[in-house]
Amino acid sequence: MSLMQVRLGFVPLIDCALPVVARAKGFAEDENIDLVLVREMSWAAIRDKLSYGLFDAAHLLAGIPLAARLGLGGMPSQHLVVPMALGRGGNAITVSTRLYQRMLEADPAAMRGPRGLSARALKKVIDGDRAAGRPVLSFATVFPFSSHNYELRYWMAAAGIDPDNDVNIGVIAPPRMFDSLRNGWVDGYCVGEPWNQRAVFHGDGVIVALKDDIWARSPEKVLGVREDWALSNAETLDALVRALVRAAEWADQGENRTELAQLLSEEHYVGASFDILRASLQGRPVLKPGDDPVDAPDRHVFYRYTATFPWLSQGVWVGRQMQRWGQVGHQVNFNDVVRDVYRPDIYRRAVASLDVALPAEDWRVEGLANAGDRALVGPDSFLDGTLFDMRG
Amino acid sequence: MNLADFSILVIDENPDRAAIVERGLVEGGYTRVSRIGTSFNLVERIQALAPDIIIIDLENPDRDTLEQMFQVSRAISRPIAMFVDQSDSSMIRESVEAGVSAYVVDGLRQDRIRPIVEMAISRFNAFHQLRRERDEAMAKLSERKLIDRAKGLLMQEKGLTEEAAYNLLRKNAMKQNRKIYEIAQSVITAFQLEF
Repeated sequence: MSLMQVRLGFVPLIDCALPVVARAKGFAEDENIDLVLVREMSWAAIRDKLSYGLFDAAHLLAGIPLAARLGLGGMPSQHLVVPMALGRGGNAITVSTRLYQRMLEADPAAMRGPRGLSARALKKVIDGDRAAGRPVLSFATVFPFSSHNYELRYWMAAAGIDPDNDVNIGVIAPPRMFDSLRNGWVDGYCVGEPWNQRAVFHGDGVIVALKDDIWARSPEKVLGVREDWALSNAETLDALVRALVRAAEWADQGENRTELAQLLSEEHYVGASFDILRASLQGRPVLKPGDDPVDAPDRHVFYRYTATFPWLSQGVWVGRQMQRWGQVGHQVNFNDVVRDVYRPDIYRRAVASLDVALPAEDWRVEGLANAGDRALVGPDSFLDGTLFDMRG
Repeated sequence: MNLADFSILVIDENPDRAAIVERGLVEGGYTRVSRIGTSFNLVERIQALAPDIIIIDLENPDRDTLEQMFQVSRAISRPIAMFVDQSDSSMIRESVEAGVSAYVVDGLRQDRIRPIVEMAISRFNAFHQLRRERDEAMAKLSERKLIDRAKGLLMQEKGLTEEAAYNLLRKNAMKQNRKIYEIAQSVITAFQLEF
């Protein structure tokens, strides 16, 4: 049987692991797929190449298919669908060592923890700067419709900072983040690994909050395909989902994480140093230059906690953040948009032949640490203890 | 609006390609063409130039920054929307394949923008064609060097004439169904092992 070729675009980040593993460890080939991986340096490029047929599938920010469906960001409306998620965790907020010192001096108590509330120290720095007439601080995220943008804003807003007026928030593509911090163009950023850990290893930055500190075990990237491609290549899509789910199972095993770090360190994948990748993948990140690593066992989750299931409630959360920050009006009903884009039905169909834990419903109340399905999802509290119920 | 009134900005990290695009536009009658290469101070520089149209390599990571900037309308004097004529999917495809993306000031008529984007597409394609030809020429040159080196080794070590050395390489290439430069590479490796 000849292999079906699938062209998949990815951005060099630890969470591109599933397509990389599916190719390198033979899971794609087992499903008769010749998975061709194409590295891209920007989300706009991935979005356009997927939308206009140069790619069949892509490693995407969860906000991109939703924004594309609504034609946001100046793009014509594109019907992309999300048949699965590509894991949980992986992001962090890093500030320059200089800003870290200022935060520490402004509010040592807030900097002692919990990390989810470290923005309280930032708030004091900002208030002091305003009183002294100093220019506002600059932060960067990776794309307007990114979980990074929403996480950074969530963290700031919880401490009383207005992200639209108290700071500048711009966008820099992930591979350029580190240089921007090092050169002093930005004071801090929210990006996926290895670009936080790299700043710490090089002594240029301090991680002040992990993604887990903001929303524990929160969802991250998704797999995106065009709806027309999904319809006319249903068998190939199911096979691709199965290959990626099996890759996730492999990538989640502790004993495979060193090999995974080695694989991702290759120049044509992530191209970061093995030590940096391994520290993060083993759940032993270093937060401050010279410190001992901390224990963060769920820093990168690929399989457990239904990490590959495309929960509708997670898509709706992203949509509601778009509304919260004025990227789209409140007249949009994201419950409907997400049902049109997130496709748990495809996921269930594809993995029916595998032994994969499936939730009873396609949505859940997010942030409910003691929910009945906790074993399936894991504690997933928000830093401010709120619940997210998409029916509300 | 005359051609000369359009302010066009070409953003490209590849100065050769940017120059080709710029020259094409200027020869086409567009006189207000600027180009920038690096990402530092991008937002400020674009604000200062206030272009009507930005032509940028589709893969340039600065596009993520640009798109954010266009969303935050207070950050720039004139709102800019991405150029995509939805009615013309073949042109979009052509543009994506050539690696051209364009952003234009909202409200400019499609028929005024189209020739600019078409010019950029043809120049991008021409540039990539030139580069392919150059790469092929360089590859040929290095093949030639390998063959000369292998010939030299055979002449020096085996006492062959130049013609005999070349014939030996060619005969082996034919026998093994390989290219002459591949045989030359094997010969060089063999001598390196021996000495």
